[in-house]
Amino acid sequence: MKSTRQGVSAALFAAARGFVTALALGVLGLTAAVPAGAAPSGPPIRIGATLALTGPLASTGFVHKIAGEVFVEQINKKDGLLGRPVEWVVLDDQSKPDLTRTLYDRLITADKVDLVVGPYATGPILSAMAVAERHGKMLIHNSFGIPKLAKYDMQFPIYSFGMEPEQTFPNTLLDALAASGKAPGTVAIVTSKFPSVHFLSVGAREVAKKRGLRELLYLEFEFGNRDFGAIAARVRDADPDFLWIGSVGLEGNMLLEALKKLNYSPKIHFHLYPAPAPLALAPEGQNALSLTLFEPHPPFSRFPEAEEFIKLYRERAVKANLAYPEADMQAALQYATWQVLRAAVTATKSLDDKVLAQWIRNNRVDTVLGTLRFSGAGNYGDDLSKVKQVQNGKWVVVWPKEFAAPGVKLLMP
Amino acid sequence: MRWQYRAAAFVCVAAVFAALPAFRPPAFVESFLYLVFFWVALATSWNVLSGYSGYFSFGHGAFYGTGTYATAVLATRYEIPFVWTLLAAGLMAALLGVVIGAVVFRVRRLRGELFALLTLAVTYVVATIVLNTRIDGGPGVFLSGVSPPKLYPNAGSTIYVFGVGIAFASLATAWAVQYSRLGRGLFAIHDDEDVAEVLGVPTFRFKLAALALSSFLAGVAGGIHALFVTYVTVSETFAVTVPVFVILMSVLGGARHWLGPAIGAAFITALSYAFVSGDSAVASRALVGLILILVILFLPHGVMGFAASRWRLFRPQLPEANDAAAPEQRPAAPGRAAGAVLLSCDNVRLGFRGVQALAGVSLEVREGEILGLVGPNGSGKSTLVNAISGYYRPDFGRILFAGEDLVKKDAHRIARLGVARTYQIPRPFLRLSILENVALAATFGAAALDRKAAHREAGHWLRFVGLAERSSALPSELNLHQRKFLELARALACRPRLVLLDEVLSGLTPAEITSAVALVREIRRRGTTIVFIEHNMRAVLELVDSLVVLNYGEVIAQGLPREVVRQQDVVTAYLGAAHA
Amino acid sequence: MPSATLLGQSLLSGIFIGGLYGLLGLGLSLSWGYLRLINLAHFALAFLGAYLTYQLAGVAGMHILLAVLIIVPAFFVLGVAMQWLFTRFSVGEFASLLVSFGMTVIIESAIQWLWTADMRKLQLEQGTVSLQVGTLFVPVTEALMFAVAAALSVATWAWLRFTYVGKAMRASAENPEIAAAFGVDHRRLALLLSGVAAAYAGVAGTFVAVIYTLSPAQIFAWMGVVFAVVILGGLGNPLGVLVAGLVIGVSESMTMAVIAPTWAPLVSFTLLILVLVLRPDRI
Repeated sequence: MKSTRQGVSAALFAAARGFVTALALGVLGLTAAVPAGAAPSGPPIRIGATLALTGPLASTGFVHKIAGEVFVEQINKKDGLLGRPVEWVVLDDQSKPDLTRTLYDRLITADKVDLVVGPYATGPILSAMAVAERHGKMLIHNSFGIPKLAKYDMQFPIYSFGMEPEQTFPNTLLDALAASGKAPGTVAIVTSKFPSVHFLSVGAREVAKKRGLRELLYLEFEFGNRDFGAIAARVRDADPDFLWIGSVGLEGNMLLEALKKLNYSPKIHFHLYPAPAPLALAPEGQNALSLTLFEPHPPFSRFPEAEEFIKLYRERAVKANLAYPEADMQAALQYATWQVLRAAVTATKSLDDKVLAQWIRNNRVDTVLGTLRFSGAGNYGDDLSKVKQVQNGKWVVVWPKEFAAPGVKLLMP
Repeated sequence: MRWQYRAAAFVCVAAVFAALPAFRPPAFVESFLYLVFFWVALATSWNVLSGYSGYFSFGHGAFYGTGTYATAVLATRYEIPFVWTLLAAGLMAALLGVVIGAVVFRVRRLRGELFALLTLAVTYVVATIVLNTRIDGGPGVFLSGVSPPKLYPNAGSTIYVFGVGIAFASLATAWAVQYSRLGRGLFAIHDDEDVAEVLGVPTFRFKLAALALSSFLAGVAGGIHALFVTYVTVSETFAVTVPVFVILMSVLGGARHWLGPAIGAAFITALSYAFVSGDSAVASRALVGLILILVILFLPHGVMGFAASRWRLFRPQLPEANDAAAPEQRPAAPGRAAGAVLLSCDNVRLGFRGVQALAGVSLEVREGEILGLVGPNGSGKSTLVNAISGYYRPDFGRILFAGEDLVKKDAHRIARLGVARTYQIPRPFLRLSILENVALAATFGAAALDRKAAHREAGHWLRFVGLAERSSALPSELNLHQRKFLELARALACRPRLVLLDEVLSGLTPAEITSAVALVREIRRRGTTIVFIEHNMRAVLELVDSLVVLNYGEVIAQGLPREVVRQQDVVTAYLGAAHA
Repeated sequence: MPSATLLGQSLLSGIFIGGLYGLLGLGLSLSWGYLRLINLAHFALAFLGAYLTYQLAGVAGMHILLAVLIIVPAFFVLGVAMQWLFTRFSVGEFASLLVSFGMTVIIESAIQWLWTADMRKLQLEQGTVSLQVGTLFVPVTEALMFAVAAALSVATWAWLRFTYVGKAMRASAENPEIAAAFGVDHRRLALLLSGVAAAYAGVAGTFVAVIYTLSPAQIFAWMGVVFAVVILGGLGNPLGVLVAGLVIGVSESMTMAVIAPTWAPLVSFTLLILVLVLRPDRI
């Protein structure tokens, strides 16, 4: 009788322990598959991050998750990092900056991950940056939209569009338009007041003026605006040669649809941060221009590991039922983050944040985006931004010419 | 004496939490606890107005956002030290609250969902102003250079301690309010604001006070949060999350108790945080929703509501009979005509959209008498009572009571002067016990007693009307007769000089009528003047010293009962021309 | 000075979005007004309807009318089920806020599970067609939606006013006990009304699918405005909710046309505040 009781309680204890372990593992958010019989061995190197997997930012958050998983899976199939397997600990920050901060605190101080990488989008990245700074951790991030706010010396931006994108990028764009022979004479700017968009639109306005374009209309709308009818009417009345839409997500789409209902198609239209799929797939999105750092075609596909990355990403994206399963800028940004991390760790054979940061500052890394450097002000390097266009339902780079997809050039009306 | 021990315990708990960083826990513990305390502060502050008074505000985001931006802008652009910005944040939010309240609380219609809508609209207005002016203007405000005072070497720990501070300040406020006069008034307002006002609760001032406290605390919480998130944007700050979540948390935890919102806040914050694994993010979210549903289905009045009903924790008991000193007895005034004029109505007119309810009523009530007020249905009796007690304001005329004109006064001031009334259909405060109902009148009425004395007084009057054994019951447990007597006890607990009894006998059985009549006589014997509105002519003729007859808003007869009832026009008014 | 065409076009735009606010708010107004339930899940239902429309008419290629014919009755049943749940557990007004919030989260998660957080657009060839009336363009889909919204509002009003069931509903809402004494079965009526409200959500969702691009997070984006519209129009007032929607939609749109789009919410909500404070009765 006693032995039965002991047996039962032992079984219960084992079950409880198993349950607690499972709970702990679940709580720690194991995502990366423990590599099965692969070459890397020893205790895993744990890299922590949060991503917006629920909430308004979730659609892009998932893109990042898939891209990161592709990298981690591949690296674990080869030698891992310093011979050890890599484990990516991802937590869901629910698109909330205050939760992001708490979760990074947890990753660093409770889960005690070895290194951290950044979350998605400017707000959460700022929260994570503050935490990283407090604990002396390096933070490589890849979707930070307002360079002048990045003040921490151990932060490294993968989103390389230069330190003053509000000056440089509009010039790049207008160069592209001018090179096609039919430079626009008038411009209308319609922009969201979303922080990472607004300052770029304001910059574009100044650049356009400096370059002699006549401004016909300048409108700002609030983020979350639902009704674009009146705005569309004003745009149609202005009828600019060039329409700059400072949009995030679906705003550009909604404006185009509203314009279409007025029987008006804008001549040249540029969208700042559109959700790629809806704009590419919509009939009125034809010839839309946007900003990018990467598209899945040559010459990008010739960059280190890009071809494999594009293929694997597409497989996983299709399996995950994404609307636009092509590896584009956001996915590539995440992948490049890991490439930089790997390069630094491999070169310094260290997991010490200061050592790694020092190395990154002084070296260049070849990634799917091209060669990245971090030696400028605020750890920013070269401006790698390019102009892409929707042609036949797909995004292709059209400028600078050396990065344009084979046989493709910018289509003007 | 007990409250001092509780207060000490409260301070100890707060101190323990504040001292936590000294034990060097992992930083995320502080971060997570900060979030819990942040929501505790927001939910509790919301509850001080909305849970207690029933004025559900959808605008807590406006106060919180005002505080957030106050700190953000003052600390970055004007380099004001953080702690001072918190004070500014609270004051600005409170100012916004007071301005809203001053406008809205005066308008009687704007209760319930209209108040909710108004506060929601204010949030949108504030958000738009912040977005479009130099306050934010679009790019957001970055607080990187701002550091809090060095309470702890670690900035994160310091912010945590501030969070503890505002949370416990909110809890202390809610606790103090709940057991104070303000709180009792708010609970009365929750159940029936008009009755509360007529009983002497200064409803406008109390609501404004609650709103000011609520918004001040929310503003300070917002200011602290600005430093926590470091980067403040309009879309994050004024999102629909804050207004909705504070409501959810308070309802979940129990909105009638100071600790309720804190419980709800802790639960919901922990719940959202518990399921953050990257793997099953979507499933986790669904699970959170499911848990919320299950909790509220099984605890429909929230956690504290459940606790209160299970353990009957919060019902004050009736003090013993013998230690109740009898209330001061006024000398029994002689029955007829000898008293001076206590109340006089002088050509009072009151119309509602085409119906002239009172068409020039003039009458006099002498001190110590029972004046009967009769008339057919619709003649304006209840309207007159409403006018005298202050619920309606006459368009014209004067109502003098002990030398003061009541027409321009708020109802609660009229109550203070010594006027009380009962309602034809009893309107007790449904969520307060019998004892609390009566004690409230003793606290806010002409007597203006403190809590203990009010309870004694209430006990006395409940014994007087025969409801002493039911003192901890809720009004819903009483039958009509008992509720009428509760009305009576409540009116008398104010120690009024004049009490207006509005059809107190309607719906009673003959036996009950007899005992009621005896009570009325006893009331008069103790020195209170009575205006007695009734249809039951037998009782009227038995009781009253003089009789006024109203018809179509005019006095058609006034004088001794036996004479009045024989007058031609009175008979016509009641029975029709054929009987004249 | 903005041209007459601009003003006219903006007015139209405001009317249409006002109609959508009204359509979205109709079901919510009914259940809040008559059942004393604040049903946040109404928005989730509307978007579920939108996603189902996308799935049936977009992915599965069904004709849109057929999709509607499937969705509306299905949602009626869903509404009945929800009300049954509320009654079974005697959920009061404020508890209903919590329960419906929980339901919203569950439905949102289900939507994200099935359709991912990606944005989905139902592309219909006729989706963006416009009729030209003078110098103004009238988008057909929006006009149709407005017509449906108006028709449903008027029909509901008439139903409540003139039919026995409608009158029974109103009586029951005012005083359930007395109405029951006259033979009015409150529970049955509540189930019916809840089903109708959910069906309206489904209809609203169908139009949202045709006009807008969908993502799960949008469920919360509409809450604030539609709540405002519902309360402004008067709980349970089907005509009022449409009128309130128009007031807000048009005031926003005209502000966008004449001043600047970012000031739009300020104008519409200040207007709302003034209306509430100054007018003796709401709309």
